[in-house]
Amino acid sequence: MTILTVALKYLRGRFVASALTSLSVALGVSLVVASVLLSRGIRQGFIEGTTDYSLLVGAKGSPTQLVLNVVFRMDVPTPNISYITYRELRDDPRVEVAVPVAMGDAYQGYRYVATTGGYFAAFPWRRKTFAISEGRFFRDDPPEQPAYEAVLGADAARRTGLRVGDRFHEGEEMAEYPMTVVGILRSTNSADDRAIFFSLASYWEMNEVSRKMKVKPLTALLVRPKRMSDLAGLHRGFNVAAETQAVFPSAVLLNIFNVLSLVDEVVAIILAFVVLLVLLYLFVSMYSATLQRKREIATMRALGARGATILGIVLLESCALAVIGGALGIAGGHGVAYLGASILAGRGGPVANLFVVGALEPVVFGSVVALGALAGLLPAVLAYRTEVAENLAPLS
Amino acid sequence: MAASLCLACATFGLTAYSQLAYGEEAPRLTFAQLVDSIRANFEVTQTMKSYNGKEVEIHGFIIPAGPPDLSFFLLSRVSAMGNYCCEVPVGQDETVYVYAPKGAKILYDPLRVYKVRGAFEAGPHTDPIYGVSLFRLRNARVEEAIGAKIFKPGDPPAPTPNK
Repeated sequence: MTILTVALKYLRGRFVASALTSLSVALGVSLVVASVLLSRGIRQGFIEGTTDYSLLVGAKGSPTQLVLNVVFRMDVPTPNISYITYRELRDDPRVEVAVPVAMGDAYQGYRYVATTGGYFAAFPWRRKTFAISEGRFFRDDPPEQPAYEAVLGADAARRTGLRVGDRFHEGEEMAEYPMTVVGILRSTNSADDRAIFFSLASYWEMNEVSRKMKVKPLTALLVRPKRMSDLAGLHRGFNVAAETQAVFPSAVLLNIFNVLSLVDEVVAIILAFVVLLVLLYLFVSMYSATLQRKREIATMRALGARGATILGIVLLESCALAVIGGALGIAGGHGVAYLGASILAGRGGPVANLFVVGALEPVVFGSVVALGALAGLLPAVLAYRTEVAENLAPLS
Repeated sequence: MAASLCLACATFGLTAYSQLAYGEEAPRLTFAQLVDSIRANFEVTQTMKSYNGKEVEIHGFIIPAGPPDLSFFLLSRVSAMGNYCCEVPVGQDETVYVYAPKGAKILYDPLRVYKVRGAFEAGPHTDPIYGVSLFRLRNARVEEAIGAKIFKPGDPPAPTPNK
């Protein structure tokens, strides 16, 4: 009989206590794994879901609101800017591409994004590509002759059930301006999957305020300069102006990451205490088990078992509890993270694929086993030092 | 805020070889040196080209023109964010295109000077994604730089830039 078999028999002998100890280790590990996966997934979701355009121009206000609304379809739109701003920027010799965007209402929570065909255009510098899975793109119809054609992001189409040819509107006041679905986009793994796109002409005509305006309104402009080194000049120009602001989307996201880093640090401290508690629980469990079976250990020693064998059995017991708890915890942590990511994604939050194979799982598993060995060390030494004569004395 | 930015700008004149946390010395190039090296037709001097492929250190403000993991960004003599500071934004001659394939794990602050170290390249180059550039750093690593050096009475004068 090997010492592993003996250790496992001991664990089976006190099944309920062993199961509860493993469960507590599993819960602690789940908490650590789920926190790390979700934090990483949210950060990566922002990185993967951001725009390819380096500069975003909008009305004066919060840069974070501008980026979250225009790029990630969160928050409410910033105030309008004038179409003249777009014309000036389009004609600026420093600018390669400027794409106008107007954010408005929503259908079943899926945001309307009015823009031009340029939004979907492919360029060598763009990572994101748009392709139609069904139907076609909407036409850039001339002002005052809107076609009310809509193209739906993949998620928006799937969740609303709208198909090509369907007509839709939301709210009584929009009944006069039903949109017709002419196309559905392939998934882009970004907020564009949850958007409903149509032309600026349709947007201006279906809105009572903009219908009366001679100079039409926009929410923002996505800008790509011919030379990246001109970005700073363009940025400064819009920010010293009275009505506009320009932001680097990545700068805003980096500021969000700074805040997330603070949260991560607080969570790390809490998790450190959780790990300490689990470690203590494992130690107490092993310690009390060793105290309870001092007589058995003395018997084993009397029958010829060496001290090192006894030490090994207790250490193996502790490691086995850690292995079972660690494996269950890693699996449970992934489950919790998956559930959290699904809830977050359902609410329109950016979250990337959490299940990329990385160093996290082996590092966590190795650490749990090492901590299990550490927790079992003192009880193992106690067992090793068990006095045979003292503990084999007749029970009074 | 503006005063601290100006103070940080002033550090660009205080250059020489610098000891880095990476453990070895690397020549530090200043934006003044980069500008001085520019010749007609978007060319640079042979002296500047002699640094090509070598590890150098450049201090500047980060403009996050690329992805938010900072795998690409611009390093500029002047911050793009301070709207009311001493200088207007600079152009191609005082902008270094920085490529950091592993990204940069820093707490980003638009008004802070960072020291960036990587393999230097001088001369015109067109990148399919980030376009035309004159100065580049490849495989770059980023650290926060000390904002300004304080000279006490009796200290030796600041070392001259390494030309």
